[in-house]
Amino acid sequence: MLRVEDLTKVYEKGGRGRKETVRAVDDVSFDCNPGEIFGLLGPNGAGKTTTLRCISTLIKPTSGNVYIDRYNVLEHEKTIRSRIGFLTSDMKLDGFFTPGYMMDYFGSLNKMAKEEIGRMKDLLFNELQMNDFVDKKIDKLSTGMKQKTAIAISLIHDPEVIVFDEPTNGLDVITSKSVTDFLRKQAGNGKTVLISTHIMSIAEKLCSRFGILVKGEIKELGTLKQILDRNSTDSLEDVFFGYVLPEGGSGVGHAQ
Amino acid sequence: MLSDSMIILRKELKRIFTDRRSLFFLVVLPLVMLPAMYSVMAKMGEVKDSDIASFRSTICLYEGEGNSGFTTPFIQTLSELNTNLRLVERDELDAVKQSITGREQELLIVLPDHFGESLEACETFDISAFYNSTADYSVYAYEQSQQALLTLTDEIVRERITGRGICDDVLSVFTINGSMQEYDLAPEGSVIGKVIGILLPFFILIYLFANSMKVGLDSVAGEKERGTLAIQLVNQVDRLSIVIGKMLSVMMAAVVGAASSVIGLIIASRYFISMFGDAGPAMSGYSMSTLSILQFAIVTIPLAVLVASIVLIVSTYARNAKEGQGMIMPIYFAVMIMGIASMQAGDVAPVWMRSTPIFNSLIVLKSIFMHDAAWGSIMTAVLSSVVVSAVIIYLTLRMFSNEKILFRI
Repeated sequence: MLRVEDLTKVYEKGGRGRKETVRAVDDVSFDCNPGEIFGLLGPNGAGKTTTLRCISTLIKPTSGNVYIDRYNVLEHEKTIRSRIGFLTSDMKLDGFFTPGYMMDYFGSLNKMAKEEIGRMKDLLFNELQMNDFVDKKIDKLSTGMKQKTAIAISLIHDPEVIVFDEPTNGLDVITSKSVTDFLRKQAGNGKTVLISTHIMSIAEKLCSRFGILVKGEIKELGTLKQILDRNSTDSLEDVFFGYVLPEGGSGVGHAQ
Repeated sequence: MLSDSMIILRKELKRIFTDRRSLFFLVVLPLVMLPAMYSVMAKMGEVKDSDIASFRSTICLYEGEGNSGFTTPFIQTLSELNTNLRLVERDELDAVKQSITGREQELLIVLPDHFGESLEACETFDISAFYNSTADYSVYAYEQSQQALLTLTDEIVRERITGRGICDDVLSVFTINGSMQEYDLAPEGSVIGKVIGILLPFFILIYLFANSMKVGLDSVAGEKERGTLAIQLVNQVDRLSIVIGKMLSVMMAAVVGAASSVIGLIIASRYFISMFGDAGPAMSGYSMSTLSILQFAIVTIPLAVLVASIVLIVSTYARNAKEGQGMIMPIYFAVMIMGIASMQAGDVAPVWMRSTPIFNSLIVLKSIFMHDAAWGSIMTAVLSSVVVSAVIIYLTLRMFSNEKILFRI
């Protein structure tokens, strides 16, 4: 199980004499269970990527901690990494290589045996319907194919926890559906899935629980029904816009 | 840890050496550039020399006033040259000078007024020769005329001496290197070695740097930009392995480029011979002993590590490859200046140069090519490269652990 506890990340900005601190993530707590897809929703700059980077051990929390079972990111970085499959929103793979080669490369970096890499390649290529382009250079692939490759690479080591930052960003509806189907299947197989997105329609269909993050703070946490009931509305989008747009913009009054 | 570095190294090398464009830039270009450059220079030199020699330049001669009867030997001497001799009047002098500046005519020789009196009184007088130092034909005409007039002076002196009943043997005291034997005691091939020794360290440094930049800036800054560095950092590989793997790949690309430029310059050296003309065994074939090759490798590899580590630390600090390029250019220019300064350093370089990293490697490389490298200097150069590289690698590693730098946007 993934547990985020009182996570705070403060950045320092500006040069000498003009230093200011920015609380990118402020006392955020939530958890995500095996078999569940948790959606971290928020506009750009809300702190989603910073939260996911802290979870994936790329950056260290200023305070608070992140746990996967009994391991935490401050003391067990390597163990956490072995259990996480992380996909960044801005990843552009080196166009010179093929998806097949990249899978071998990242499999080796994860200390996997050749046979194990081969087994995972077969599994992921089949599930993501990549077999037609595994030997083509990444440069020659479409955006959807590249995203499928990035997803496959991040999961080559068969992690228990999947952390994807905006996994459907910029994809056409068909690829987007195949990615969401794939994530649903992963959760069905008992994986813990955490995604960040600002696309409400996808979140509503895909996630079983949500956290709405605005200016580094969790404003809403719970199932879709809990959030809608609390805000007396039938649309997650309205709840979201209620926090993002200027006061009264969405017509939803929030239960504080 | 080393096995992780090797995985990264293999991937980086595959990226570099199976890409045709990279291969051309890193290997083919340094190999063919110098031979191509020097063969063209040698060919152009030959064409230019024969063109100048065959050109009939126009020499204008002003005979001066009151010199009737004295100018004949001057006209005769100048007429024997492959030139058009034109006698001019005083009022034409300015126009002729302008035409020489404008490259329309080549030379103006002005004999002084009444020089016959000085000639008869055995007094020295001055002849003016106006030419254009930026025009090849003019310079050639000036040199030819000067030589011819000096020969005429010798003849006049000889006539004066013999006219006084003195044998012209008195004019000759001794000659220097007048027989046919070989006087230049420089070892066989040493002149070529000296030319190579001056040029090659500079080219090696340039290629080490250029190739490191080509590969190294993309290696970290490019991966940062593409977001792929983050994916590597969330794998089971530690950051030191990533730094070492990337540094080895940058270094290998740099060494391959430098090796290509060495081979290229050795091929190009045959054109030096044709450029310098036939000048005995010192200009003949150049060869390096096994020991020299070993010394060359001992100095060049740590130098490549140093250059690769400089590029890698810039690449690590930069937000993206473009920013990295902007940051590395001043360093590249500084290194080029170091290369040029080492070319001018002379046989014994100043102490500060011999104790400065990069400089001392260049100076030692120069002495290796000239077959007179001392092991003490070699070890100083190697040690300074290793120490500075280690410091830079340590700082790079610190940067890899610094999220402010690694995820700077």
